[in-house]
Parts: sequence; C-alpha cells; structure tokens
Amino acid sequence: MKRLALDELNLEAQPGAFAGTLMNSSRDLVTRVCQGDQEAFRLIFDRYSRPVIGFIYDMVSDRELAEELTQETFVRAFRGIHSMKPQTKLSTWLFGIARNVARESLRARTRANTQVTLEDESVMGVSDQKPVPVDRLLSKELNEVIRRALDALDEDKRLVFTLKVFHQCSYEEIAEITGFSLAKLKTDLHRARAEMRRRIQPYAGVGYEV
Amino acid sequence: MKCESCQQSLEEYLDGELSEREASAVAAHVARCPSCAAQCATYSGDQELFSHYDRDLAIPSSMWEQIAERTATPTVSQLSENGFGPRLVALIRVPSFAVSFAAATVMVVFALVIYAAYMKTQKPKPVVAFTAAAQEPKPKEQPAPVPSSSAEPQKHIAVSNQNSVHRRARAVKASDIEASDVLSSDLGVQDIEDQETAKHLEQTQNLLQSIRNVKLNDNDVEIDVSYDKALSRRLLNENIVLRRDAEMKAKYPTKMLLSDLEPLLIDIANLPDQAKPEEVRVIKDRVQKTEIVAALIGY
Repeated sequence: MKRLALDELNLEAQPGAFAGTLMNSSRDLVTRVCQGDQEAFRLIFDRYSRPVIGFIYDMVSDRELAEELTQETFVRAFRGIHSMKPQTKLSTWLFGIARNVARESLRARTRANTQVTLEDESVMGVSDQKPVPVDRLLSKELNEVIRRALDALDEDKRLVFTLKVFHQCSYEEIAEITGFSLAKLKTDLHRARAEMRRRIQPYAGVGYEV
Repeated sequence: MKCESCQQSLEEYLDGELSEREASAVAAHVARCPSCAAQCATYSGDQELFSHYDRDLAIPSSMWEQIAERTATPTVSQLSENGFGPRLVALIRVPSFAVSFAAATVMVVFALVIYAAYMKTQKPKPVVAFTAAAQEPKPKEQPAPVPSSSAEPQKHIAVSNQNSVHRRARAVKASDIEASDVLSSDLGVQDIEDQETAKHLEQTQNLLQSIRNVKLNDNDVEIDVSYDKALSRRLLNENIVLRRDAEMKAKYPTKMLLSDLEPLLIDIANLPDQAKPEEVRVIKDRVQKTEIVAALIGY
C-alpha cells in the first residue's frame, strides 16, 4: 500500500514517481488547462489526488465522503483554475479548495446532526478474526490510534496539524490555505501536537516518552 | 540562549521555520543542554511516529471518469436538457414552489388588470410636435441633423459630437419652449441633457482611466501630458456647466459625482505639458484612492 503521508507534495522532486506526469511543471499544466487542455488536468489529478484525498479524509474521517469531496474539489479546481493567481503554488491552491469543500461538508453534517462514523469495526474485526502478523497488526493499531486522536482535535487544530505534520506545508502555505494568522496557526499547531502526544502516549512503544 | 526560549523555538526549529542564525543558536543550546535535548528527541519522535501514519486510501478508478464527465464542455443536447424550460418544469413540480409560483402569477395578473384600468381612466396627453418642430426650417447656424434610420429625433442629436450636441440642445430647448409649453418637450430636452451628461462622464472616465493606467518609469525625466491636459480643460468647463444644471434641477447624485470630478480635472488641467513622473503619480494615486472610475462606471 502506498503511503499517503509525507512525500506526495514533493512529487516533482521524486524521480520515477508518476512517470510521464513529471515531464510537466505545475505551472505549465495550469497554463495548458486554461487553454482548454483536459489531458493536462488529468495530469494534475494524477499528481495531486492522493494528497488531496488524504487531507480530506483527515478532516472528515469518512472514506466514501472523502472520495466524493475529492471529486468535488477537482471539479471546482477545474472551473476556477482561470482565476488562480500566477504566484500561487498549485498544491496550496488545491488544498485551499479542499479545505473549503471539507469544511462545507462538516458544517452540513453538523446541521444535520449526524454523528461522525468512525470505521472502528473494520479494523477491530480484522484484528480479532484473522491471524495478522504482529508488525502488521501494530501498524494497523497505530494508524487507528492516530486517526482517533486526530478526530478528537477540534477543526482548526486538526486542519493545521494535518497540513504541517502529514503534508509538510510551510507555515506560510498553511496561513494561505487556512487564512489563519501566523500567531494563531503556531498556537494551534503547538496545542494540537501536545494533545496528539497525550493521546498517543499510552499506545506508543518503548522509547517513546513524553 | 536560555532553556525557556530554546523550548519555545524547538517545534519551529524541527519544522525548519527558523532563520539560519536562530536555528544555529537552538542547535548549539540543544548540544550542551540535556533537558532541551530530551525535549527535542521527544518532538523528533513524534514526527517519526506520524510519518508512519497510513490511511490505507486508494483513488477509485472511476473518480477521474466522473470528474471528466462533470468538467466536460456541455453538448447542445445537454444544454437543452439543462435549459430554462426543463428546470422550470422541475421547479414547478416541487409543491411549495408551485404554490408560490401560482400566487405570484395571480398577483402579477391582478396588478396588470388594475394598471390597464387606471390607464383607461387617464386622459390621453397631447403628443408634442417635437418631430414637427425638428422638421421646421432651422436657423442657418444650426447644423443639419445627422441622418439616421431611427424615428426618434433625440437620437439624431445623440450621435453627433459633444459640442454640436450641446449647442443643438440649447437651440432645441429655446425654440421648443418658446413655441410650446407642452410638458413632453421639456422631457425631450431633459433627455438630451442626460445624454450630454452621460457622454461627458464617459469622456471623463476614459481620461481618468488613462491616467490611472499610465505606466510610470522612474527613469522617465518628463511625460508628455499635453493632450490629457487640453482634454481636461475642455471637460472641466463642461463639468462646471453640467454640475450647475444638475444642482438647479435637484439631480443631487449627478451633482455630487460631477463635484467629485472637478478637483481631479483641475489638477490634470494645471499640469505642465511636460510633467514630471512624480506629478503624474500623485494624480494617479488620487484616482486610484478615490475609486472615482468605479463610481463613473457605476453611474
């Protein structure tokens, strides 16, 4: 299984990843899309869909919803790509759209008063019913612990934490995506890290001390 | 560096957000302080732990197809399917909308009936012989009407240049008012004056836009603004007349707009023919700051 976390945003620096798509810079692709080249948009989708779906999933904690919202993000991106400022980084711009889409969905869900459905059963079911290698089981459990801890953060902290820790965005990029001031995002990030550490500490292995 | 400030900077240090100088200060402190080194190791451990987070997500193969479908240019058939008619029908099928729509339709019909009944009770007003007056032999000093396919005489006037419009407007106003005191002739003159004001504002807008958009180069010693200056002088004279007219006729929004224009026109008119970039920049900044062009466009 390919990891969604760290490296996707730096794809242009990864030799061999998505061969073919790397022949084009993001700026070239945007220019081509503005000229009506849908194939160029396909390349943008190939390049950024995985970090975008990962980010949205971190925000909404629902796989199917994350897929729907990723689709919506790219449709909005296609429709609005003409208005993208030349100095804006494509990934930052896409995350901005994804953030809005996810936030709208979260607001709608809050209004509808539906509970966030965690997918605990699938993980626990696997670990209870099938013989899973220890390292694999640990990895699954760890992922689940991280996800639960992430869900417990409030929206702003989760947003900032996800962008920084999982997507390696700079503070400047996070400020651009979220519209938060530098002071707020630093405070939120610090608190989010402290909360995550506190929640994960009981599950972490030897050598992980707080 | 003290432990307190080091620990405050540790996260930013690990995030690579500190300047080179700050980062070396933190690194030096961590190297000799066991407590801060332990804190740094904890934070690094966090990052290492989170780097193993795997959401186990995959992009469904159908996702791109759905996006491509939604972003494809709509065909004629799709347009007709999504056209106004089918959408209206779909809306009417919604019960709450259908009731509101029916109520609104009844109200509109009722209002039209009342309006028609009211119009029947009104005495028809005599039609001013504006056309006839326009067709009467004109004084020699008046320019000939501009040929046009339109039957409305005021349109003849509107298409000629500013000065001739101005003169003719005054001539028509004088002759018509003397010949007849029928109200609609006043309306005709009023319309002409509105057109005159509109044309004046359009020309002023163009002038201010050209000032606003001028690209100033610091290497320029002088900028030739003789044309803009001459135009501004002419527009200034017109502006004063139109502003007074608007004030007399209680057209306060027009009067206020014209009043706002005057200081700018005066400044442009007072520029030397070969202006310095700084002088032009001052006016350009004022045009931008006052957003007068937007006000003109809005008008």
